[in-house]
Amino acid sequence: MFEAKRLHPAAIIFNLIKTVREFLFAIILGFITFRDESLVYFGLIVGVLLIVFIAGSVLTWYRFTYRIEDDELRIEYGVFIRKKRFISKNRIQSIDLTSGVIHRIFNLTKVQIETAGTGMDAEASLSAVKLPEGEALREELKSRGAEPAEDEESADESVEKTNPSATISFKRLFIAGTTSGSIGVVMALAATAFSQVEQFIPERFYESTMQWVIGLGVVILAVMAILFFLLLWLLGIAGTIIKYGKFTITRNEHELFITRGLLEKKQLTIPLRRIQAVGIQESIIRQPLGYVTVFAEIAGGSLAKGEDFSSILFPIMKRDEVDDFLETFLPDYAGAGDEFAPLPKRARKFYLMRSSLLFLFITAAVAIFFPAFIWAPLILLIGTLILGWMRHRDGGFQLEGKRLTIRHRVLGRNTIMMYHKRIQAFEKKQHKLQKLQDLATMRLSIIGTMGTGTHFTVKDMEETDADELSDWYSRRSQGS
Amino acid sequence: MRQPPINRIAPDAIKAWKISAAIAEGVLWLITIALFVLAFIFEFSYWYGLVAIFISGVSTFFTVFLLPKLRWRRWRYEVFEQEIYIQHGILIVSRTLVPMIRVQHVDTKQGPILKKYKLASVEISTAATTHEIPALLEEDASELRDKISALARVDEDDV
Repeated sequence: MFEAKRLHPAAIIFNLIKTVREFLFAIILGFITFRDESLVYFGLIVGVLLIVFIAGSVLTWYRFTYRIEDDELRIEYGVFIRKKRFISKNRIQSIDLTSGVIHRIFNLTKVQIETAGTGMDAEASLSAVKLPEGEALREELKSRGAEPAEDEESADESVEKTNPSATISFKRLFIAGTTSGSIGVVMALAATAFSQVEQFIPERFYESTMQWVIGLGVVILAVMAILFFLLLWLLGIAGTIIKYGKFTITRNEHELFITRGLLEKKQLTIPLRRIQAVGIQESIIRQPLGYVTVFAEIAGGSLAKGEDFSSILFPIMKRDEVDDFLETFLPDYAGAGDEFAPLPKRARKFYLMRSSLLFLFITAAVAIFFPAFIWAPLILLIGTLILGWMRHRDGGFQLEGKRLTIRHRVLGRNTIMMYHKRIQAFEKKQHKLQKLQDLATMRLSIIGTMGTGTHFTVKDMEETDADELSDWYSRRSQGS
Repeated sequence: MRQPPINRIAPDAIKAWKISAAIAEGVLWLITIALFVLAFIFEFSYWYGLVAIFISGVSTFFTVFLLPKLRWRRWRYEVFEQEIYIQHGILIVSRTLVPMIRVQHVDTKQGPILKKYKLASVEISTAATTHEIPALLEEDASELRDKISALARVDEDDV
């Protein structure tokens, strides 16, 4: 792999799409302004621009070369300003392959290479190479010359060479889609929005619309609404199936390897040592059905992975399967029992207050100004009170040696496991009322995506517990 | 975390905070005056101006006269060999532990107001958070920075 190579010519298409997308807004704006008189000239300008763009894309492709030399990935690019980027093999953290629909037509893949650096984009991105070439490239970049650690590892490995792997079944995938939550959220939002907005719509407009609606007939309207939500729901299912179809996770000695997607195929690598915390999420819809999502917090990495901050290790599984799953893939994080130290009873009032305060004000305001609609905020108020009650019930922590597990609820319930060495800072907060009640809030910070921290808070825990955890965290008290 | 940290920050911090708060409040007072002038020119009610005076007065009392002192009284820090311990916050008291081996870099910073009182602040960054110890004496600040930087050089243990 020493000779410099160009990307597959399909890269020209991707370059072009990228440039056009950047100018799309300007072009649309131009079209709207010049729509009447000078449309011909505008067409000409767009035509010329398009030719320039195509030429630019071809040149960009022509000038972009990559090669592997001296254990480095060397990329040279730039049309007017020549740039060279050398990335040492040892510094590469992960290599991801993504094949979109266009890629798959030509049997291509996009290679994204990440180092520990932080930023929105991957450090190096080869937008189109042949799939076998991409896989060879990944193997080549991953083999790290002669590394002593590797030898010790391989001795262990000859004993058990099987790399564990798990795939999602279609039935599970379907369940994941039906419970993906998009439907619930959309419905709740629509209902709330309507009940709130209703009051602000000008009467005249409201009346005429109402007449039209009544003319339509309530039945037809209801059927339309149901069809609309059904459509959203089906879209949600389809979206989940397309995104997580054929989800497969495999573990080898240093990393987790994830493949997923029906239309756009993604292959992600997660180096084990970059995992900062492992979490189990039980969304409000899935929890009663006993289904959970397993995710990991990973240091660095870019948003380009499209994983919204946490990386999903497995989209859906039964609650009681989690332990086996972790035992197989991340034995360090397995075996968390269910005995959480709960929050004290006297913390409940804080939780109830915190979640319902806003709606308490809204209810009061509505009671004064629109007494007829008092039921709408009242329902929400009761909802938030129940949520506060659940948040209090679910909050807690569990300490086992060097591992701390905390559990808290936002809407869904999250259980997050992290090790002492992964926690970057420990904060105990206490306001006056908490002090009177001997309660405290604990905040743990770990490294998150894009170089920013991810923080976990347990509110209103027993102050003695918080102090005990601070002692556990403190390096002074470690008998040194 | 049962005992607060020992060291206080420089007493001149109160003066520095008062000045920077006064500058911010000055803007508020200018707006108040502008409101009166506009009320005079366009002949609308002076009540808005009076409300503005009230708001500016209350906020000046709090941010310039009351809070700096309370804030200073709460601010404590202590640097151990293994970790940094910080306490701050007026209504919500926050105590933070930052292990030395998690410290990525330390900065000292000094704006014009701090410079006037020969003060500087120390900023400690980990991979996930930043923590600031405000308004130490210049020499203390640079000494602290060097000390933390030296202590943070401990090798990463994989405990």
